[in-house]
Amino acid sequence: MEKLTRELLKKNSRESTGRAAGSYVKVGMSSCGIAAGAQKIFDLLKEEIGRAHPEVAVERCGCNGLCYAEPLVEVSIEGVPPVLYGQVTPDIAHRIVEEHLGDRRLLNDHIYAMAVKGTSAP
Amino acid sequence: MNRTIVLIKDTAGTGDATREAHAQWVKKLRDAGLDGTVQAVRAADLGIYNAGMAVKILPEGPCYVNVRSEDIDRIIETTLKQGTVIEELTRHTVVEQVRIVLRNCGKVDPENIDDYLGVGGYQGLSRCLFDLTPEQVIEEVKASGLRGRGGAGYPCWLKWSLARKAFGDEKYIVCNADEGDPGAYMDRSVLEGDPYAIIEGMTIIAYAVGAKKGMFYIRAEYPLAIKRIQLAIDKAYGVGLLGEKILGSEFSFDCEIRLGAGAFVCGEETALIASIEGRRGTPRPRPPYPSDYGLWGKPTVINNVETMANVSYLLLNGPGDFARMGTEKSKGTKVFALTGGVRNSGLVEIPMGTTLRSIVEGLGGGSADGKPIKAIQTGGPSGGMIPAEHFDTPVSYEHLQALGSIMGSGGMIALTENDCMVDIAKFYLGFCVDESCGKCSPCRIGGFQMLLLLEKIADGKGSQEDITSIRRLAVAMQKASLCGLGQSAPNPVLSTLQYFMKEIEEHVVEKKCRAGKCTSLLQYVINPQACKRCRLCVVNCPVNAITGDRQVGYTVGQNVCIKCGKCYEVCKFEAVDRR
Amino acid sequence: MVRATINGITVTVPEGTSILDAARKVQIRIPTLCKHPDLPATAACGICIVKIAGSNKMLRSCCTPLEQDMAVTTHDPEIVDIRRSVIELILSRHPNECLTCGRNQNCELQRLAADFGIRAESFASSVPDLPSDSSTGAIVLEPRKCISCGRCIDVCQRMQNVWALSMLERGIDTRMSPAGDIQLAESPCVHCGQCSAHCPVGAIIEHDETGIVWEQLRDKNRYCIVQIAPAVRVALGEAFGFESGALVTGKLYAALRRMGFKAVFDTNFGADVTIVEEATEFVKRFTTAPETLPLITSCCPAWVDFMEKFYPDMVSHFSSCKSPHQIVGVLAKTYFARKRRIDQASMFMVSIMPCTAKKHEVKRSKEMFASGVQDIDVSITTRELARMIKQAGIDFKNLPDEEPDHMLGEYSGAGTIFGVTGGVMEAALRTAYDYITGGKLKNVDFENVRGLSGVKEGTVQVNEHSVKVAVAHGLSNVESVLAEVRQARAEGRETPFHFIEVMACPGGCVGGGGQPYGITDETRRLRGEGLYLDDREKPIRYSHENPSVKALYAEFLKDPGGKQSHKLLHTTYKPIPEYKR
Repeated sequence: MEKLTRELLKKNSRESTGRAAGSYVKVGMSSCGIAAGAQKIFDLLKEEIGRAHPEVAVERCGCNGLCYAEPLVEVSIEGVPPVLYGQVTPDIAHRIVEEHLGDRRLLNDHIYAMAVKGTSAP
Repeated sequence: MNRTIVLIKDTAGTGDATREAHAQWVKKLRDAGLDGTVQAVRAADLGIYNAGMAVKILPEGPCYVNVRSEDIDRIIETTLKQGTVIEELTRHTVVEQVRIVLRNCGKVDPENIDDYLGVGGYQGLSRCLFDLTPEQVIEEVKASGLRGRGGAGYPCWLKWSLARKAFGDEKYIVCNADEGDPGAYMDRSVLEGDPYAIIEGMTIIAYAVGAKKGMFYIRAEYPLAIKRIQLAIDKAYGVGLLGEKILGSEFSFDCEIRLGAGAFVCGEETALIASIEGRRGTPRPRPPYPSDYGLWGKPTVINNVETMANVSYLLLNGPGDFARMGTEKSKGTKVFALTGGVRNSGLVEIPMGTTLRSIVEGLGGGSADGKPIKAIQTGGPSGGMIPAEHFDTPVSYEHLQALGSIMGSGGMIALTENDCMVDIAKFYLGFCVDESCGKCSPCRIGGFQMLLLLEKIADGKGSQEDITSIRRLAVAMQKASLCGLGQSAPNPVLSTLQYFMKEIEEHVVEKKCRAGKCTSLLQYVINPQACKRCRLCVVNCPVNAITGDRQVGYTVGQNVCIKCGKCYEVCKFEAVDRR
Repeated sequence: MVRATINGITVTVPEGTSILDAARKVQIRIPTLCKHPDLPATAACGICIVKIAGSNKMLRSCCTPLEQDMAVTTHDPEIVDIRRSVIELILSRHPNECLTCGRNQNCELQRLAADFGIRAESFASSVPDLPSDSSTGAIVLEPRKCISCGRCIDVCQRMQNVWALSMLERGIDTRMSPAGDIQLAESPCVHCGQCSAHCPVGAIIEHDETGIVWEQLRDKNRYCIVQIAPAVRVALGEAFGFESGALVTGKLYAALRRMGFKAVFDTNFGADVTIVEEATEFVKRFTTAPETLPLITSCCPAWVDFMEKFYPDMVSHFSSCKSPHQIVGVLAKTYFARKRRIDQASMFMVSIMPCTAKKHEVKRSKEMFASGVQDIDVSITTRELARMIKQAGIDFKNLPDEEPDHMLGEYSGAGTIFGVTGGVMEAALRTAYDYITGGKLKNVDFENVRGLSGVKEGTVQVNEHSVKVAVAHGLSNVESVLAEVRQARAEGRETPFHFIEVMACPGGCVGGGGQPYGITDETRRLRGEGLYLDDREKPIRYSHENPSVKALYAEFLKDPGGKQSHKLLHTTYKPIPEYKR
């Protein structure tokens, strides 16, 4: 691996690796999530999305603090505002792939939001 | 084609109102011809409470509260079609999280260094190494007002200056990731969710102090945190962000992990040092302070995980925003692990000065079962219980201390009528007694004796003399214990004596536990009117405490009863009363 | 210098002085319990707390340095009340068995409880049920009496570098125990007894064998004989109102006779014989086999045990000579017995030692049975003897002085200084010088091997040779000396020391594990001074000039280092495992 210099670091920052731009599904995979069953959800999503929607990256992320709602899955696809699904079961995960990714229709009764400054909070 | 989403949630009541509203929205959107581009979706939880029907519009749209059916058309017209915000529907008093420590948690993949670099990671360090002298770094942190987040709240800049001035070339930075307070897991989440932010913070501190070696002291009970930090350290070495000449500067820094071994007391600075040195984890007297004489006798700076995560942010963005938040003596934000009887337990990060009520009700969603929250416990085993009449107190080091509690590392537990304050005090004291290192008599024996007295009270055998003894023990422990564990172990008990004397007296005088937690004070009594003489309780009682016959009826022999509650559980006619 | 006030009194002390020590300078005695003058403050008990103006915290005065302009309050009702609470807490965890405890009337906790006028036990008694450990037969551990002051651990780990004792578990379950929760006899313990000498209460006590001695003294068919070690005569008096270092030798002989011993000998005689043997050994090695140097003294059984366990590769350097009391023992049961026609089987030899390790030494190997039976039947400590004298109703203080039985009781000045660190070296050099040069030293006092420094070095000119010597006391001081020897060997250089003396107890035997309680450097110094005085007042100051010693060789042993000597007076050493598990 190449050692970073100040210049290279700036470049990395600017390019922002393009990861945030594309479509992604992020699963909360810290202790709280894993304890709630996130590993299974992650594996399921990785498999199904890999097959049906290979352009959507399935990634892991840390605990965002909404621990009571784990397992949490953030979904962000082209043209649809990103949302956070909580208390995701394998069934809900499956429906996310079919309805949200497939039909661009959000699922009812499973979306969670936090009041955080700087987001579109009241 | 870009979608707009309308999230709907009735913040006060049940799912029925939400469904109804949702159905209305679906119809109205169709009528307005917007159903192709706008989807109305029922949300599970919007993070808003007691605000009627809430409607949040994505992306970047406003959030309306107390929305009635009549408002739907107006919202569609004004906001959806014209993009204008309706002022009177907008919520004005709102409590929001400000995510500094948790800024990347839930966003970056903790095992991917590119994610961290992509969000400006290591730009702070870069700025330090090339644009600032170590003294300037300390000045910036001083300007921010950052105080140690581990609980003591010691001004960071001061600790680092002292270590910088201390004699010697060999200095150490230690990240205290021993997080032992029951119910606190903020540090764990940051270690698992944003490890690079902490490593970067540690590296910056090392630069400021003049240290070349750093260590993470992570409790062994956090295997995922250990794994992720080790991975992050390895990757950082791989790209030259640790090791020799970082980023091409003259500064070199090495970092490794040391594991804890199941001792809460090893979160105390000097005991932590003893533990890393391979000695029995007991504190030693200070002075000398670790900044002069720490690990292996060398100047050492020990900082908490949250402190270090703040540092990388501060040196990236400057101290201004941070210093503008908070109270006079407590700047910036604090992460709390909000647990207990609240609807939404989890981590919240709020600016200092936010009131307890806002946090528990505004962010936590209030009581989970509707029973009022009677106390908020902060500061873990060193803290105190704050009663409802003080819930409007702003959260800050100085305000919490004035109430007889402390900020601590960030544990915040909501206690309701289901909780017995004596039981809670006993729990915390029991924890301290378990975790006492045993070196000094006041803590080792004093804590143990105080616990015996609390157990007496919980068992209904307590007396006024016992309360007097407890106070005497508390003074001895506070003044004569060698370290913070012993000095602060009486706090939850004293706090209970201060604010919940009524409950204690109920245990001592009336031999009653109003929350039903102290089982020795419980009585299971068969209600003769409701009893159908089916003998299900008699058959299920493990100690044959229930006697009688079908004619006269059945009674629970109170001296035989072991309060297991089986009879209460199995009775199909609710004929067993629990008092 | 630092200037501050304590209770309003101004005091000026060097920087770094603890508040505790500074207070003493102005006659303020802050109570302590876990602090011992020999050891750095551990800050465990919490009794020495004081207030500092400007803070609402209380600090421990034993480890807090006095700072410029500090205003300290050492005593006020609040502080005293808290101290009382802490004492009561310690008492709640301590068995209330003063009357039947080995430290009755001589216990630091008892003294504190008495001073504080504790009349009621406010807290529920909760004494841990821990078994005692008498597996070594020399030292008995009673962990249920332990107050967790940590002194014994500090002593065993840092001062003696043996690491046999440790604290196990934590919190209320904390207990003092051999590391690894094994029996003391299975641990590296060398029985030096320094743990018991520093214990403030009765948690570590010498194995009391006075009962055995009384039993034998009662038996009309037993011929009981006794010997006293040098260090005993300058310390036993402390139990009877004498100052430390007062020479009560004559009274000791008198008391022992009154107790019923049929012959009263002196270990110093054995010391003189040791010198004759060891100086001969040294001269032989020095002149004919210098590669076997250094010669290392072996009269201290704790030291022998230590070397066999931790430095087994160096045991060949030990002098093969037995310790003085073993020598007196074997000679009593052979030489003396034959001369006086006493049936060896009826003899019962008791040695009074400042030492707990001797209890273990007497059965150490079959060489301790060189007379045909066990040479020394029982070794008891100075403390045990003091109790026996009291039980025997003897008004020790006013006894007339008596003489020992001369055959094995007469001693030179060189013999008596065996009890103090550097003494064996001095005695050996005096004789060795004569053996090599045929002449006497101009000055028999070797100041540079005297004193309480951990390691003392010196050079003695013997004709054209520079004999380099080293003296170490306290087992943690051994490492550096042996490291130098090993280093020189590895580099092929000459050994840095030709002759090394080691005593396990700091100060030498005068500071032994069996001596009266209350050891400090001052006590060590005073007791040592007593022995040096004894030496100066002796007409004969060379071991080999002791007439009784000369007679012994002429009549019985023949040549020093000869066949008879080797059979009776010499022993062997072998490596032993540190842990017997």
